[in-house]
Amino acid sequence: MAVRAEIFHLEEPWKGPVGISVALHGLAFAAVLLIGGLTGRGDSWGGSENGQGAMSATLVSSAIPLPSQPTEKKNVLATESKGLSQPEPKPKAEVPDAIPIPDKHVLVKPKKEEVARAIPSKLPPPPPTNVVPYGEGGPVSGPFTMVKTTTGSGGMQFGAGGSFGSRYAWYVDAVRRKVSENWLKYEVDPSINNARRVYLTFDINRDGHPSNVQISQGSGIPSLDQSAVRALQRIDTFGALPNDYSGSRVSVEFWFDYRR
Amino acid sequence: MRRSSMKIGSMKTAVLILFLAFHAAAQTDWIRTGTGLGVEKVRIAAPDFKASTGDAANAPLIKVFNETLFNDLESSGILDVVSKSFYPLQTPGSPAEIQLDAWGNPPPNAAMVAFGNLGKQGDDLAMQGWLFDVKNPQSPQVLGKQYRETATEDNARLIAHRFANEIIMRLGGGVAGIFESKIVFVSSRTGHKEIWIMDYDGAGQKQLTHLGSISLSPRISPDNSRIAYSTFGKRGIELSMYSLELGRNVSFPHFSGTNISPAWSADGTKIAWSSSMRGDPEIFIADGNGASPKRVTANKGRNLAPAWNPKTGSQIAFVSGRTGLPQLYVMETDGTNVQRMTETGYAVSPSWSPNGQFLTFAWRRNYGPGAPGAQDIYIMDIASKQWVQLTHSGGTNDYPSWSPDGRHIVFESTRGGSTQIWTMLADGSQQKQLTFGGHNQQPNWSFK
Repeated sequence: MAVRAEIFHLEEPWKGPVGISVALHGLAFAAVLLIGGLTGRGDSWGGSENGQGAMSATLVSSAIPLPSQPTEKKNVLATESKGLSQPEPKPKAEVPDAIPIPDKHVLVKPKKEEVARAIPSKLPPPPPTNVVPYGEGGPVSGPFTMVKTTTGSGGMQFGAGGSFGSRYAWYVDAVRRKVSENWLKYEVDPSINNARRVYLTFDINRDGHPSNVQISQGSGIPSLDQSAVRALQRIDTFGALPNDYSGSRVSVEFWFDYRR
Repeated sequence: MRRSSMKIGSMKTAVLILFLAFHAAAQTDWIRTGTGLGVEKVRIAAPDFKASTGDAANAPLIKVFNETLFNDLESSGILDVVSKSFYPLQTPGSPAEIQLDAWGNPPPNAAMVAFGNLGKQGDDLAMQGWLFDVKNPQSPQVLGKQYRETATEDNARLIAHRFANEIIMRLGGGVAGIFESKIVFVSSRTGHKEIWIMDYDGAGQKQLTHLGSISLSPRISPDNSRIAYSTFGKRGIELSMYSLELGRNVSFPHFSGTNISPAWSADGTKIAWSSSMRGDPEIFIADGNGASPKRVTANKGRNLAPAWNPKTGSQIAFVSGRTGLPQLYVMETDGTNVQRMTETGYAVSPSWSPNGQFLTFAWRRNYGPGAPGAQDIYIMDIASKQWVQLTHSGGTNDYPSWSPDGRHIVFESTRGGSTQIWTMLADGSQQKQLTFGGHNQQPNWSFK
């Protein structure tokens, strides 16, 4: 057979493939439409069928002069201006008593003493575990060593050591009263208005008689020191020591405050 | 400056009490306390004692007891007795029943509570009483006492007096109460001036002498066994001695002249009086039975009304008219060291306080025409000669006499129209009339 030498022979048939191509494209287009019609019905995302969605909002025409929207231009959160309206003055809450409110955030151990006091005393308090039987405890490390050098009125301390004063407070009271009664103010030099405290020490014997009266710390005013000593010298007895007290004597440190 | 103002010093009293028990050989408790001159009275509550038995005869006895105890505590001079209207409703009859809180807090606010029970057991009246320190819940008991006497009203009163004495002994610094002490006096309620005796509160007044004469200036001996007095006898005004134990007069030597105003020494062995046996009235001292009289004053003018210093027994206060109007003097018992105590007016009837510090006497400070001063009772501090006027109520007040505890003074006063016997505290407060019928005068308080 004869070889065709013309490569670009225009005689090549094209109507058939074009027709097929058009048909196929038409078919594909139809298929797309068909699928879209079947599955894509309804609202489309981002818009509405009425055209009133967010995307289609329109501003009012500027032809009508409407009052502008009040807009807060100042940063209310950051401004230092107090603004036009003043806040109402707060009514002062009356504090009944200046009792500090305990801080909740500070952890404080409740004091055991206070708890013990709050309990009504009908029940006898349980005996403390650290009680030393009287007379067997050795030298007591109480606060009295500190107080022995106390000057002035800061010495309201009750020693926890000896048992005399706690057991026989009434006797101590009677001693104080008796010395006071026998202290005669007019024996002191009348020109003295104020004086340092005079300290006396003495013993009370079993029968109540005072002995060993000594000025342990004078006031520097002889007449005052003398009047204190004389107060003791006037006293025959404070009354016998309590019967159930075992000691043979009690030592007393007694101070005199003089003020005219 | 004055004793009353000293006692009521307004300065705050602070207390410092500390205790120190040494483990050394001489174990000693320490008390640390002090004063700023203020003296506060002990606040005590005395609820009615409860009946301990169901005996029907209890009620009058308990009533007498409760009234006596309350009155004793009130008149002690060192206690501030809480009014009964402040007391809690629950009345304790024993230590198991007392609620210390209820007594220690307001309204009673007491420092001490005296409580207990009594009742008739058979023929006896049995009483249990306690004194509790309300402010010391650890060891509240100050005193616990039991008494048992025949059940009579007098004994109910006696038990109350004894219990009150114990309370005062504890709270008053070793000075016993005066509730069992006696007062002898002269009463004319029978028509004659006779010697009478009564309790310190005016109860139980009893006539001792029945001489039908005039008996004056009774003085009871320190042991409460005899009463020396002067009486108008057939041979003049003489000293007589009445024995309380025998209930009759006992013999006493007769001295010529006028013998008045006897006075006992504190030990009861000596008696001093004023006698004109040698002309002028002078002070004499003899033994308690009247033996070996000795003259201790010798000057022109009268010397009378001796009073011993009961503390030392070595001094005598007396009244002397050696400069005209009677004045107060002090001397040793041998007649030496005479000191004049008052300078003006008209001072009589000294009585020496039991602690030896003070004299009480009757004084008309402004005496004479144009000076209508009343005669009042004064006390004087002997060392400083400072005096305080105790009575201001008008009338004539005379014959003061100290109580054994030195806190009270008995005296006679005409303030009510008739002469009657009154008592008061030694600062002039709590004046109380003891006698009401007839004229009663010249009281003398016993030594114990």
